[in-house]
Amino acid sequence: MTVPMISMRAVGKSFGAHQVLRGVDLDVLGSEVVCLIGPSGSGKSTLLRCVNFLESYDEGEVRIEGELIGYDIDKEGARRLMAQKRLREMRREIGMVFQHFNLWPHMTALENVSEPLVRVRGLKKAEASERAAAMLKRVGLAEKAHTHPQRLSGGQQQRVAIARALAMQPRVMLFDEPTSALDPELVGEVLEVMRALAADGMTMLIVTHEMGFAAHVANRIAFIDEGRIIDEGPPRHVFHQSKEPRVRQFLQTYHDRNAF
Amino acid sequence: MNWDILIRYAPALVGGFGVTIFCWLMGSAVGLAIGFAVALAAAVPSRALKAVLRVYVEVLRGTPFLMQLFILYSGGPAIGLRLSATTAGIVGLGLYSSAYYSEIFRAGFAAVPRGQIEAAMSVGMAPIDILARVRLPIALVAAAPPIINTLIVMSKETVVLSIITVPELMYQMQTMAAETFTAFDAIFAMAVFYWCLVEVVSRLGRRVEERATAFLASR
Repeated sequence: MTVPMISMRAVGKSFGAHQVLRGVDLDVLGSEVVCLIGPSGSGKSTLLRCVNFLESYDEGEVRIEGELIGYDIDKEGARRLMAQKRLREMRREIGMVFQHFNLWPHMTALENVSEPLVRVRGLKKAEASERAAAMLKRVGLAEKAHTHPQRLSGGQQQRVAIARALAMQPRVMLFDEPTSALDPELVGEVLEVMRALAADGMTMLIVTHEMGFAAHVANRIAFIDEGRIIDEGPPRHVFHQSKEPRVRQFLQTYHDRNAF
Repeated sequence: MNWDILIRYAPALVGGFGVTIFCWLMGSAVGLAIGFAVALAAAVPSRALKAVLRVYVEVLRGTPFLMQLFILYSGGPAIGLRLSATTAGIVGLGLYSSAYYSEIFRAGFAAVPRGQIEAAMSVGMAPIDILARVRLPIALVAAAPPIINTLIVMSKETVVLSIITVPELMYQMQTMAAETFTAFDAIFAMAVFYWCLVEVVSRLGRRVEERATAFLASR
């Protein structure tokens, strides 16, 4: 049996007295596209951020290709934070795309993409620029290479952010509500890039409110409510056959709007 | 206006102006360097260190510059610290302004959006690279206007150095006034010098700000 790309077991996390995640189990296999859906504040973004340890988890395990991320376990079984260097090495293999793009405003689109290649992958500047240009071309922004983020539309900024993550040649990509901050008419161009990525066989874990996209592109949907996965399965199952009242109630609003 | 006297004293005044600019530039370099270091150190998660830095900033901001200079120049020898007037002036100006610069840098770093740092962390960038390539450039843009403002304020604080006999512009002006009984002419000459300096600095500063914020223009 192959090792899952991402494997989460009984993941728990609290912010003070508030329990955000309550024992989440989820696997993402290689080349699989899994969408996390659910109401606001359900813990889906927190769960996603635990995968690359931007958010620490208190209980359970998150493994990337079998390796525990964030913690080392000593002989007595006690957990300690893992060495920062090792954590950085693991993060290189996990691409992340944020809701608010988070491009660096003092760099052009090309520099945003090439910077990590120079600093992290150790590429020569010319080589990094070349690869960055190829990535921008892949997301349809070759002609915007020398434009600063502020002069790009939200959709274009998010495509640059995707190119930045992809240029690192990660093993898996995380998307944290990648279209939630976009004008409705700019959502399509970002989803199109993501769809192409999925078709190329990229492993993707996506937090989204785009039910149409989830229905058509995801291999699997996990519905999260109050820090638990309460239903999981192929899109057809979750969207049309779920027995969970909370899932049906949540999806009803989308059915009402003919979203999928 | 007594032009004869002004012309006779012009070399001394111009020389004093040179000393003023020298002390101001050197003191500002010291102040910016210490201020930057203090702002960086304040980010270290140690309560003791934070408290020490807090006291440093509050003492230097909370007491008069002249008093600090006296302690450094006149009180220094008591603990074996013998500085020439000019050195004491530069060190004093550096320490005094560092308190202001550290607060400016601290605010600048605080203005860097968390998400842009997370983006750098998510690709596995090392803390030193995140500081140099992401946090610092963004912080400096936010800090540029208050830094320039403080530079201007400090250029005029240099007059205080005359009291510990640094031969800067104010000192030369007082000498001229005392020797020739021309108080008005001397003060007028000094005002022109300072006004020119401030004008040049603020023009340069505006240009720096424009360049620094060029990429934010359409925001």
